[in-house]
Amino acid sequence: MTDEQLDEVLEELGREHRAISAPDSLQRVLYTAAESRKSASGKPRLQFPLAWVAVAILLVVVTVAGAIWRSIQTHQPQTQQAHSGPAPKVSPRPRQSSPVATPRSVGPKAERVRAAVKARAPLRPSSPPDAPTPSSLDTFVPLPASERLPTAAELSIVRIRLRGSDLQQYGLQTPADALAQTMLAEFAVGEDGLPRAIRIVR
Amino acid sequence: MFERLRRKPPESESTDEELHRSALAGCGEAMAALYKRHGGLVYRFTLRMSGNPSVAEEITQEVFLALLTQIDRFDATRGSLSTWLCGIARRKLWKHLEHRKDALFDFDGDAAAELRCTKDGPAELLLRQEAVFAVRAGMDELPPLLREVVILCALEEMSYEQVARILAVPVGTVRSRLHRAKARLAGLLGAEMADTEGEPR
Repeated sequence: MTDEQLDEVLEELGREHRAISAPDSLQRVLYTAAESRKSASGKPRLQFPLAWVAVAILLVVVTVAGAIWRSIQTHQPQTQQAHSGPAPKVSPRPRQSSPVATPRSVGPKAERVRAAVKARAPLRPSSPPDAPTPSSLDTFVPLPASERLPTAAELSIVRIRLRGSDLQQYGLQTPADALAQTMLAEFAVGEDGLPRAIRIVR
Repeated sequence: MFERLRRKPPESESTDEELHRSALAGCGEAMAALYKRHGGLVYRFTLRMSGNPSVAEEITQEVFLALLTQIDRFDATRGSLSTWLCGIARRKLWKHLEHRKDALFDFDGDAAAELRCTKDGPAELLLRQEAVFAVRAGMDELPPLLREVVILCALEEMSYEQVARILAVPVGTVRSRLHRAKARLAGLLGAEMADTEGEPR
């Protein structure tokens, strides 16, 4: 048999060979195998992003909490404000009781505050020359704005850092050189949250 | 008009890589499409090499399942998917043949029976058909190393480069093996034909 004859025969055999197709039964098996992969790989794919989302949420929460804590830390030395309820926590000084409403024994400071309030009660905001100035505020002086307010049954001391210019809104006179100065002041605040008297600490 | 507007199924337009990705994502239809496209080649190769349909079916299934498990092994830049599949099929086939060393040179009894049939009544068959039978039987007599080259180059009409990639040998080796296989086949067939012609009627 020559090479040409062999090639011809191989060609014919090749045609016959290529007519053979793969069995259909395998197609179903492979289809099922691929589909089962979807269900098997579905869970990890779902869990992976969920884990990342949880981590991201945790990070955001930690960051926000840190920012809030930092802002609280920065504001705390400047402002210590207390309302009637949590006053003892904010202010290191004890809550004072008014002798009018509660004749029980009170601290000497609260006594002084009330005495000052009574003594300076006639002060009015309409009389600027009589308005107290920061230099004369070593002891508690009643605020002109609190003149018409009812007597407080309970007083709280609130310490605040403020500017000299801020005193004007309470009806107090402030020297020009003290306008820009920052000072620590104590307010005697009634149970209604309104200030009754002020004292400059430093 | 409606025929023209009808969309072809996506499997027929997608490339092997796209289908492979879809199959990996769990698309059974993509896997079925890959099997339709390349299953015949793998099955024919394993069937011709092993001579056993059940072995061929088993190996073909393993080869396609490897598509789902050995994800990182297939590199589209290094060769086509059909080449890669044939390479896997060949390795599995050789492993199978190693377990059955007796099968290396003694399989396909049906073909031998056909060959004997042609010896018994050559006059009743066309000479051409007889030659085809003889070549088929002669191929089974070839050692597997030469037979696989004949199957891939001559029957599957693959290029030397593709076959070289499947067999993981240089192209020159493929050429020389094919040459040796054809010479051996021609020798075997020449002897068979001479026997047939020499037999008394």
